[in-house]
Amino acid sequence: MDSLHLLKACFLLIPAVLMGCLLFSRWRWHVRLPAAIVLGCVLAFGVAGWLPGIMDYLVSFSIMAIIYAILSLGLNAQWGYNGHLDFGVAGFFAVGAFTMALFVTSAPAGVMAAYAQQWFGLNAPYLIGVIAAGIMAGVVAYLIAQPILHLRADFLAIATLGIAEIIRLIFQNERWLANGPQPMSGIPQPLSCVVDGGNCAWLPDAIKPVLSVMQPRDYSYLYLVIVTLGLALVYIVLEAMVRSPWGRALRAVRDEEDSAAMNGKHVKSLRVQSFVLGAIIIGVAGALYAPYMVTIDYSHFKPLFATFLVWVMLMLGGSGNNKGAILGAFVIWAVWSGTGFVTDYLQVALQGIAPDVASRMSFLRWAFVGLLLALIVLYRPQGILPEKKRVSRFLQEPEN
Amino acid sequence: MVDSANTATSGALPGSPDSPDTMTVDARDSGGARSSRFVGGVLLLVLIGMWVAGWLSGTSAQDMLSLTAWGVMLGGIIALGGIGLTLCYGVLKFPNFAHGEFLTLGAYVTYGVVLVLPQSNPIWRFSFGWELIVGLVLAAAVTAVVAIVIDRLLYRPLRRHQSPLVLLAMASLGMEFLLRGIVYLIWGSDFHFYYSGRSNPALSLPFGLRLQADQLFVFALAVVLVALLYWMLTRTRIGKAMRATADNPDLAQVRGINTEQVIAWTWTIGAGLAATGGVMYGLASQMRPDMGFVLLLPLFAAVIMGGIGSAWGALVGSVIIGIAMQLTSAFLNPAYGPAVAFVLMVLVLLMRPQGLFAQR
Amino acid sequence: MPLLQVDAVTAGYGDTEILRALSIRVEADEVVSIIGPNGAGKSTLMKTIFGLLHPRHGSIVFDGHDITHEAPHRIVRLGMCYVPQVANVFTSLTVEENLEMGAFPMGAVDLTASKERVYDMFPKLRQRRRQLAGKMSGGERQMVAMGSALMMNPRLLLLDEPTAALSPKLVDEIFERISRINDSGIGVLMVEQNARQSLGMAHRGYVLANGENRHEGTGRDLLDDPNVGRLYLGG
Repeated sequence: MDSLHLLKACFLLIPAVLMGCLLFSRWRWHVRLPAAIVLGCVLAFGVAGWLPGIMDYLVSFSIMAIIYAILSLGLNAQWGYNGHLDFGVAGFFAVGAFTMALFVTSAPAGVMAAYAQQWFGLNAPYLIGVIAAGIMAGVVAYLIAQPILHLRADFLAIATLGIAEIIRLIFQNERWLANGPQPMSGIPQPLSCVVDGGNCAWLPDAIKPVLSVMQPRDYSYLYLVIVTLGLALVYIVLEAMVRSPWGRALRAVRDEEDSAAMNGKHVKSLRVQSFVLGAIIIGVAGALYAPYMVTIDYSHFKPLFATFLVWVMLMLGGSGNNKGAILGAFVIWAVWSGTGFVTDYLQVALQGIAPDVASRMSFLRWAFVGLLLALIVLYRPQGILPEKKRVSRFLQEPEN
Repeated sequence: MVDSANTATSGALPGSPDSPDTMTVDARDSGGARSSRFVGGVLLLVLIGMWVAGWLSGTSAQDMLSLTAWGVMLGGIIALGGIGLTLCYGVLKFPNFAHGEFLTLGAYVTYGVVLVLPQSNPIWRFSFGWELIVGLVLAAAVTAVVAIVIDRLLYRPLRRHQSPLVLLAMASLGMEFLLRGIVYLIWGSDFHFYYSGRSNPALSLPFGLRLQADQLFVFALAVVLVALLYWMLTRTRIGKAMRATADNPDLAQVRGINTEQVIAWTWTIGAGLAATGGVMYGLASQMRPDMGFVLLLPLFAAVIMGGIGSAWGALVGSVIIGIAMQLTSAFLNPAYGPAVAFVLMVLVLLMRPQGLFAQR
Repeated sequence: MPLLQVDAVTAGYGDTEILRALSIRVEADEVVSIIGPNGAGKSTLMKTIFGLLHPRHGSIVFDGHDITHEAPHRIVRLGMCYVPQVANVFTSLTVEENLEMGAFPMGAVDLTASKERVYDMFPKLRQRRRQLAGKMSGGERQMVAMGSALMMNPRLLLLDEPTAALSPKLVDEIFERISRINDSGIGVLMVEQNARQSLGMAHRGYVLANGENRHEGTGRDLLDDPNVGRLYLGG
């Protein structure tokens, strides 16, 4: 294994270990951590050693899967915890992504101002952008929650669908806001200097020559670490909230609203809180998405990719269950990517026979995923990992 | 589906010894919703406000009148899709997000037929010939079959399991993408016209209005179909059975109504009407594979505004939506049409969730 | 042969057993009243007879037909009609339309005669025939519900707590109507909370408790029985 692959494996180590921590969550920490580290090393160095060819693909796959996992977690906070049928995930996703972009880029000046417009550009640090994205998505969610959250479930679904469409229309048509319909480009990637020959000012001189073997195109390895840390943070926060009194109150409202109300739980504000929380998380996912893409425009936030897929992920993985949300994200993203391979192959294979049909092969994926959602609803609506009834972390878990 | 408490329960429950013999109809009914007249008045004010806004932004009164007329015509198109949706929504109780695809399917199957059949001369001043009518009938049949097959394979098993309506809605979302993918696969992503290259001049009407004969035809067709549907629902046995099933499916079974048969008829009529709507939309504007999705929001807005299950409600709601969408193009980017429809829908939902023409 | 014979029926929801090897019968032209505490299985019995619930064991024979596992809409056609306790009218349909739905299985026939029969039985409904059923008071709704069930001229009428939540005056009125219905040759099987009054007008009665038949006898006998009186009739 050459030094480049060794280095890449080291980058893979952190996400792999975190994944191990998640997988072994049933074990106590003094067993869990060593096991996770072992698993992490095996995975990271194993892949680097035996499957170096697909390493790059695995990394880019995992980054998108993790962003989708965060989206699923956000949707779970709305749907799984509190029964909000949110068909407007794409809207909060877009708000988060564009807020991030506006915060961390600088406003185009001089010659560039003729080609690209945006409302403002603060050239802010990455973390500020992420926080701003979350807050903005939360604010939007809070504002729309007032008039629509009390509607019955099917009306809420239609309303959220409509709002996501309006948000997309705004980003598509308002040039002054985010250069719509043109893309916003040049979104800076955090810590990109690390892979640019290791020329970061804050890196100790001893490490620089080691890192110099990395190229800018290996940035995704570093970004994988960043998004995995983001996912871990979101997951930990959500899990803690689920087991808190707040989480119990939420589930009480979801399952037995009248009874919860009679018990003094402030139903309306609890519902708004879970809705806003979910939106914040979805916005954070958007903030992680924008720098990875470097260039974003309204077409990234159409309902297929940014709402529908997330629902399939959550339904498959298990709604009401955070681990299920993450599992669903990975599985469905794998299915989606896999169908991409299949349709690419079909497209080439049919090129000679029926070029018209060949060019449309990509739509086969839509049909397939649509069918998949219908099948999941029909045969396993509770998902792969059904919700475990968690009352309190102080109670012993019941034997299943 | 959690029927969240957006209506407060009144004091005396019907059936209790204390309830009066007849319930008085109040400005706010027992659920806290405003009366139809109030909501209608608000909507009228909104439309007038749009007129003023358009006029203030420089559009002439004549143009505003034209926009209003086109809005009514657009309302006719939306209504054709809307009456099918309101029927299905009312009987089956869940929002069928794939309903838009019945429009798309209807339009494209007709297109296929029109391509195959020899082109005939246009009828009167319309832009279409008999081959379109033939295509339409065939497309309505095909779409109805598709709807029934989907119901048998997907929605009926879910009904049997007493699945919450939320799951049916989600399943229908899956069907939306499945059907749309299939349309894209068969016909591609280009836009098409039924009769490309055929001129379709507008008729000159009083008040300086210029409307195409096609547009008038579509509107007239919408009114006729709405009237027919209303007649069917109120005067025929099967129509009343549909209303009964929509009202209380369990009781309908107890009374000996075969609810599954009623549901099959509902899908047939609803999908057939939708297919007609799709053809008319394709005729009046153009065929695009995402037409179903583009129209989905205005369709739901019209149906919800008019009151789910009401045929006339769907027409009135559609016309209001159509006018609003056209009027706002005078002072807003026309791309925001669906946004306007949506805002109006939310407005009505806040004032009167059951819609303008609901009976409860 | 009795009009309705329920033989050792065991039924319930999910894993629970509500009815345990229950047997009752209704002769033609009888009024049979079933009383008992809440949770005894009275409503469950009605639903099982009418096919809304399938028994695990036992058999139900109606007018010579085995209807143990038959579906409701077929049982209706055999001549048995059921009036549920709640949600027993179509609230968004008019009174007249409700009646028409009651005769739905008869097909597209002229219903004037049947409607007249029901209006004769419930004159108040004749005045309000075009009113929405949902806008009527509790007593009137009950009449619409019963009228709908009578449209098919059934041989047996199943009534689930017909006088629930009604004022005493209306309770008398409903019982009087039930009596008249029975006089016209229709058997009545009813479940009732108003135990005294229902036993008073019934030919025979059953006392259900815990899904079992505790007492049976004529209405009069049960009323006079001190055991029944103490436990179920409020002393």
